[in-house]
Amino acid sequence: MLYDIGLTVFNGLAWAMATFLVAAGLTLIFGILHILNFAHGGFFMIGAYVSYSLMTGMGGSLPLWLYLVGAMLAGLVVGLLGWAVDALVFRRLRDVEDAYSLIATYALLLVCGGAVQLIWGLNYLGVTPPPALNSVVFVGNVFMPTFTIFIILCGVLAYIGLELFISRTQLGQLIRVVAADPWMAQLLGLNVKRIYLITVIFSFAMAGVAGALLMPNQSLSPELGGIFLLQAFGVVIVGGMGSIRGAFLGALLLGLIESFGTYFFPQYPGIFFLLALAIILLVKPEGIMGKEQTA
Amino acid sequence: MIDYRARFRTNLMIAGCGLAAFAVVPFVANSGLMFLAGLVAINIVFGLSWNLLFSGAGLLSFGHAMFFGGGAYAMAVVSLRMPEVPFVIGLALGAACGGLIALLFGIIALRRASGVYFAVLTLAFSELVHILITKTTFLGRNDGLVGIRRPVIDLGVFSIDLTSATSYYYFIIVVMALVAMMLWCFQNSPAGRLIQAIRQDMTRTAFLGVHVQVWQLTAFVLSGSIAAFCGAVMVPFTQIASPEIAYWTVSTQPILFTLLGGAGYFWGPAVGAILFGTIDFGTRTMQGLSEITVGILLLAVVLMIPGGLLGLLKRRRKKARRMAEGSSPAQHEQSGKTEAGQ
Amino acid sequence: MANKMNRRALVKGMAVAGMAMPFVNLRSAVAQSGPINIGVVTPLSGPAQLIGNFVREGAEIAVEHVNANGGINGREVALMFRDSKANPNDASVAARELIGEGANLQLGTISSAVALAMGSLMESEGGVVITSGAGTEKLNHENYNPHVFRVGDSPVSRNAGLVRHIATSRPELRKWGGIIPDHEYGRTTWKIFEATMRKVIPELTGEEAVISDPILVPYGSGDYRNYIAQAMRQDVEGIYTSVYGGDAVTLYQQANPFGLFDKIDVLLDSANEFLVATAMKEETPAHWSGFHWYFEANKGNPLSDNLYERYVERTGDKYPMGWAAEAHAAILAYAGAIEKADSTETGDVIAALKGLSFDSATGVRHIRAEDNQAIKNAELAFIEPSTSAPDGFEVTDYVSLDGEKVIEAARPGQMLDTEAL
Repeated sequence: MLYDIGLTVFNGLAWAMATFLVAAGLTLIFGILHILNFAHGGFFMIGAYVSYSLMTGMGGSLPLWLYLVGAMLAGLVVGLLGWAVDALVFRRLRDVEDAYSLIATYALLLVCGGAVQLIWGLNYLGVTPPPALNSVVFVGNVFMPTFTIFIILCGVLAYIGLELFISRTQLGQLIRVVAADPWMAQLLGLNVKRIYLITVIFSFAMAGVAGALLMPNQSLSPELGGIFLLQAFGVVIVGGMGSIRGAFLGALLLGLIESFGTYFFPQYPGIFFLLALAIILLVKPEGIMGKEQTA
Repeated sequence: MIDYRARFRTNLMIAGCGLAAFAVVPFVANSGLMFLAGLVAINIVFGLSWNLLFSGAGLLSFGHAMFFGGGAYAMAVVSLRMPEVPFVIGLALGAACGGLIALLFGIIALRRASGVYFAVLTLAFSELVHILITKTTFLGRNDGLVGIRRPVIDLGVFSIDLTSATSYYYFIIVVMALVAMMLWCFQNSPAGRLIQAIRQDMTRTAFLGVHVQVWQLTAFVLSGSIAAFCGAVMVPFTQIASPEIAYWTVSTQPILFTLLGGAGYFWGPAVGAILFGTIDFGTRTMQGLSEITVGILLLAVVLMIPGGLLGLLKRRRKKARRMAEGSSPAQHEQSGKTEAGQ
Repeated sequence: MANKMNRRALVKGMAVAGMAMPFVNLRSAVAQSGPINIGVVTPLSGPAQLIGNFVREGAEIAVEHVNANGGINGREVALMFRDSKANPNDASVAARELIGEGANLQLGTISSAVALAMGSLMESEGGVVITSGAGTEKLNHENYNPHVFRVGDSPVSRNAGLVRHIATSRPELRKWGGIIPDHEYGRTTWKIFEATMRKVIPELTGEEAVISDPILVPYGSGDYRNYIAQAMRQDVEGIYTSVYGGDAVTLYQQANPFGLFDKIDVLLDSANEFLVATAMKEETPAHWSGFHWYFEANKGNPLSDNLYERYVERTGDKYPMGWAAEAHAAILAYAGAIEKADSTETGDVIAALKGLSFDSATGVRHIRAEDNQAIKNAELAFIEPSTSAPDGFEVTDYVSLDGEKVIEAARPGQMLDTEAL
């Protein structure tokens, strides 16, 4: 019993941190630009594919450091795509109604799927985790794959890094100012446009890195974009849209609910996340962090 | 002062011309195109129902699939499991089912959320409805309900046989034209105008003693019922209700129609639905390119002509007229197109 | 009884086709001398295009073959493709349009929902469709329609084939579990697996089979760890799975570090063919997979050899999936039926397809007149990871089982009765 609980918690954390890695960029863009970016899943997928190409190009199974370098490069590529997207799309969505930005990013998601299909084809692809992460650790008698531990660590580190970045660095504080009141920020002489651009590049890069990090645990196909999208959306909403801390807590909460739900009611797989989401929203529609915005 | 009677006549004429155009389709096109036209006719009203909420009441719904799917499944269940229930009652039940979902959801959601939050809330619920359908044996799970018969409407004195696809097609276009005109009348009724006033300035309208949420809820329930009615009408046509019709991507459809055609115009969603049907049909022999083509087209429309096609036409006409008259900035009241909202 | 059924279905089919005749006649009468148009409605976009591509290749190779051998009764065959967008509505539009264009004979349907929707459509529009792999048992049971044929495996023959082979080759394995998608398809496959196991094991060993509750997994998820943990808890010797495509790859990838596949003796995969192995390469868990068509198992059959060679030439891909052979077989079935009936009219072709025996890449198939279901060999292959093989995996064993032994009795119009398997 204790063993089962340990494993269920562990699996819940794995779900939570994998989802948080995807959700972090999503919530950041929403917090600053107030755009709910459907295409985020698409760029997450592109990150995974870019990293797949890098890894197989370098000969398949790679040492850990090369795998991480590959992930950074994938992040860079997707970050640059973010630049293009900001210039071509997001910049034009600043003053339009929400419906337009929702549809624009949905169209962008379609374009991502189509592009991936044209570049990488339709076959299912997969890669192995680096050898250093392809084993198992026993804690007591709970079975923990090292790659899953690695993903959980990445999620936690990403969260801490983001918190520090937003609260301690100058750039982070500028971002907060712009998020709180772009008009006032403009008056104070801040280059709001630039801050927006930096935010978009940064959150796209995060999507790319997330794709690269999660890829060895996932099959690659043009469907990948959609698979994490609803989960990440749920986490962002439950957390209170725009809040990094909220997304982190929301991911933990939903991950554990999903995990324990599956443990206790195995005949209803994959439904607890949505049920919990619906109930939480009904009780607290503004999310667990309320309207306290960004970081 | 706006002459509503004149406006009614022009819009009745538009609906009549549309109906006539659709009525010609079976004579000039093959059964595939006729089938598509039938779906487009349903989509037009589906789009109108969404825009009633969006441009009418200022509510952004990203979950219209739950109404559409709800109505479709209600109709499918009635016609398969309760064949003794008359077809018209089935349609009414379908619409009522959507209205009920909208009422329950609206009571909870409208009190608590607005803007994007409301949109996301509708998205989450709609996905929940979809999942529940795929897990309910009574509703046929993932395979859906198939073999739904088209009806014979018994009117006592005589009966109307709708069992062939063509006769049902005519039923669809007539009913859809009627519903579209009903929607127009509602939007231009005192109640409809009141709801628009709420959209334009919620605080001020509230000061006037209007129960803002009650009216928003009314609009929501009406929109949900009509979307569900569309689903219910579709099911005997396609003879299948499958979970795809409650999937979240279906919720994007009426939004696409509306934005493509122009949200500020009553007939915007109609133009958008026809255009979208054309794109869908045009990409049916492309291999691997239809997704990216549709994506790029949508992106282009949303970014470059945010007023939609009708907005573009209007601007063009204004420009042309201004050129003709010298540069007089006179605002011409555009007859034919009602401006819902701003 | 079977005979009566047959005749009644036939008469009904002819009557319906007769009613639709004026509609079809117009164009096909004109087209009597030109090529025979066959419509292919299959996914040509989106993720499901993966399958649609196999259908396209298979159909085109078969048409090449037929035309090279003088066509059908001297007439060439031409294909007309339409994108089903993996959606019943788009598929309906396309199917109707094709019938209007004179292609009343169609194939390519893959998804179960689309295949089921085709029945009433074809009946009212006067067309025929041969599905290229829709897996639902309802097609030849409660939703049987004379206008819809399946020339490939029925879910029963596929799964009963797997079970019979494993049970005879490894009779000592009696404790079985399952990981199945929480999807209509998954439930059906499990129902058949369980019923057949419970029947076959006692027959062979005299002892009861011990079958655990199946583990249901969600469709299209990114995380299967909790389900893997459930599987780890079960005391089983063999695992049966019908998790499909990308989900299967994700599931296996996440299960590997847990050692799930080291813990059990046999992994039985109902339908992934080479999908998992080409993605996972040397990480592929050793498993038996069911196949529509496995080219090595049919070596020496000229139709199979030609299909394989042409496929590799056209695509550069060495691992064609069975859907190619299903579409290929559909064309050959039409060729046989049109030749036999000397007509392309819907009613004639339906009558000729019923009871037709024709040669295909998997050998001779026979279409049962009662429920439009083909009897064909059930094929399966054992795929193992390998560091020496260039693709990271190799097939080390395969079998082809006589279709007559694994197919269920024809019971059109009635629900599948697992007691009777």
